[in-house]
Amino acid sequence: MKRRTFLKGTLAASFIPTVITRNLHAQDQVPHAVWVENAEPEQLLNESLKVFGGMSAFISPGEVVVVKPNIGWDRAPQFAATTNPDLIKAIVRSCYEAGAKKVLVFDHTCNNPRRCYKNSKIAELAESVDAEVIQVRKNRYENLTIADGKLIDQWPIYQDYLEADKIINVPIAKHHSLCRVTLGMKNLMGVMGGNRGSLHSDFDIKLIDIVSKIMPDLTIIDGYRILTSNGPVGGNVDDVVLKRTLIVSPCLVSADYLALDLFNLDVKEVGYLKEALARGISKYDVKRLQVQRINLA
Amino acid sequence: MVRSRRIVQIIFLCGFILLFLSARFPYENALDADFLIRFSPLVPLFILPEDISLFLSFLPAVIILILTPLLGRFFCGWICPLGTTLDVSGKMLKSPSNKLSEKWSKLRYLKFAILAGCIILALFAFNLWGFLDPLSIFNRALTVVIYPLFTLFSEVSLLALTEISWLEKPAYFLYDFFKDFIMPEEQIFLQQVFWISIFFLLIIFLEKLSRRFWCRNLCPAGALLGFLSQWRLYERIVGNECPICNKCQTECKMNAIPKADVAMTDKVECIECFNCGSQCPPKTKAITYRWCWRPYHSGVDYDRRKFIHTSAASIFALGLISIGLKDRKKQQNLIRPPGALPEQEFLNRCIRCQACVRICASNGRCLQPDAIHSSALELWAPVALMREGYCEYNCILCGQVCPTEAILPLDLKTKQKTPIGLAYFDKNLCIPFAEHRDCIVCEEHCPTPDKAIKFELLEKVLPDGSKKLVKYPYVIRNLCIGCGICEMKCPLPDAPGVFVTTENQKRYTSLLT
Repeated sequence: MKRRTFLKGTLAASFIPTVITRNLHAQDQVPHAVWVENAEPEQLLNESLKVFGGMSAFISPGEVVVVKPNIGWDRAPQFAATTNPDLIKAIVRSCYEAGAKKVLVFDHTCNNPRRCYKNSKIAELAESVDAEVIQVRKNRYENLTIADGKLIDQWPIYQDYLEADKIINVPIAKHHSLCRVTLGMKNLMGVMGGNRGSLHSDFDIKLIDIVSKIMPDLTIIDGYRILTSNGPVGGNVDDVVLKRTLIVSPCLVSADYLALDLFNLDVKEVGYLKEALARGISKYDVKRLQVQRINLA
Repeated sequence: MVRSRRIVQIIFLCGFILLFLSARFPYENALDADFLIRFSPLVPLFILPEDISLFLSFLPAVIILILTPLLGRFFCGWICPLGTTLDVSGKMLKSPSNKLSEKWSKLRYLKFAILAGCIILALFAFNLWGFLDPLSIFNRALTVVIYPLFTLFSEVSLLALTEISWLEKPAYFLYDFFKDFIMPEEQIFLQQVFWISIFFLLIIFLEKLSRRFWCRNLCPAGALLGFLSQWRLYERIVGNECPICNKCQTECKMNAIPKADVAMTDKVECIECFNCGSQCPPKTKAITYRWCWRPYHSGVDYDRRKFIHTSAASIFALGLISIGLKDRKKQQNLIRPPGALPEQEFLNRCIRCQACVRICASNGRCLQPDAIHSSALELWAPVALMREGYCEYNCILCGQVCPTEAILPLDLKTKQKTPIGLAYFDKNLCIPFAEHRDCIVCEEHCPTPDKAIKFELLEKVLPDGSKKLVKYPYVIRNLCIGCGICEMKCPLPDAPGVFVTTENQKRYTSLLT
């Protein structure tokens, strides 16, 4: 090798890391989470997705998507016990715009399923944009092995959830008596079968045991109306606060962490979140979370 | 005529079944699901003295009663779905002809005895007639036996078909269709299936003895209609060309043609099925039907002597029912649906048609036909069993489908404030108390806007000396409406840590209070 060639080569090579770091830096421009507020559900969603480069940043053409709202209770939307139906409609629509083949919407409800689907208005609005709103069938649970679970070694999970290409988790931010607040991680109980009540003792550990195995690809926390007490069922409009907020993150744990601000809570008060952080299942370091805050007022 | 009768029979049978199936959430029917139960001619007889507005809701039955003296027992032949079922099962079981079943015709008086007994018991506020009302029997059999069996078989077979790969899609399509329109969300399991199916099968298998055995000999509605049609104005005329082949006599469903003279008709028994006309040999066609009145009429097979026997038996039965022990401890579990009348009136008014149980099956799934605990009168009245189901907070459907308003049709606001019972914790079982572990699933599910189950956070010293904060639930008496979701959702495997009793229940005597 001639000296000149060597010098040229070294010079060229020395650029490579610069280029790479620049690229890395460019990726860093996309925040870990977005907090949007003061608009209607659809606008909140569109503005927040814009930051990530639209829904197509998460969903590729031809994919089967599960949108998992909270339809747990037989309550009208204004009671903030179930996810905002307009938000679900907007999400389903943007999934199809990103080229999704099929969008499934379902939840394992606590009250009578047909009542919940109807009175939450989720079935009606999701179906209006061609989502497949399905009732949970009891024969379609699959036992998921949880090899490294602390207390749970296996748990039945809904098949369509396991088979989907992409999962969008859409909880509503609510007060919850047992675990202080219910957000993204707690919302995933809606894809679990079995005796869910039995999860309630040592809840934090058991929940994280299972949730760590079924992490969604995108979490959109509905903070349009939040329920501040008498959760998770509610039923009193005086307990509902209109926050007109949406929190979007590809990381379930970070989204939940961020949503604590809705209730002015500290992580210490929310056991399952503490457990999740201790186990390191968060994609991002929540202490150094890069959050883009947008106020649409 | 026979053909139009069959068509009408099929229309009423199908209508009955369709209305039955329509009794499910969201229940936005144009026609009340209990509309055809209101055709029962017995109900106005027993409810007439009590309630005028309710009486008017039984207008179809009243019209039938008014028409019967003119037309005869057309209800039995043309409308009654139990009669239609018996016609079909009689064919399948090959009922013997009247030649072979003649010996049973002396039991005809029994239906009058039953009717008289029902009336005597009703005077003392004991409801026997509801158990024997033919429409109630039919709806009860549909609810407790036929429908659950049907859904069980269709669910199992459709789910089995989904296992076959090329059938998966159509099978699931059918399955979803069934779930949306026919089947309840989950298979319904009811108590008393054994006794109610025995009762129904007995009526069916009596066809082995004679055709329409139930209608001929036992049905109190048939007795009432028969009594009214003694002087009916519609006649079967047998012409002189009749060769007396006795075919009409042997094939008569009700054995209403006397063997001695086939030109006569026993108007008390005739249900106007018009089979006799079609049995008449085509060459002769001696039988015609006409509006006219003929002096011949057969009286009811029931004399003063038999009436005295019936009265004695009824009073004896009354006594037996009254001397039974009414154990308060057992009474605590007799939780009635929201809007139920006070217990005595409720049991007296309820005809055990199970319409409420049926509609509850697709909602809270708590209503069940009751067993006998301490009084025979409790049998098959709806009782709320909270361990397997619960009263849906936003549901008022049981009151809306009750044909006799034994359950008043409360509006949603009133219902949500009407306690049907009160929850108690069993601290020996409840997880936080028994094991000092968090649970409070009951508190989570409690549907009242201000939760009736609350909890206190207490520090507990564990055996190893460590301290732990545990949430201990408790009930607020004046907030609890006894809906029972706490009992149902309690995660303990069998006996629940929280249960509902009738304590604090509120009963209304009418909608206005």
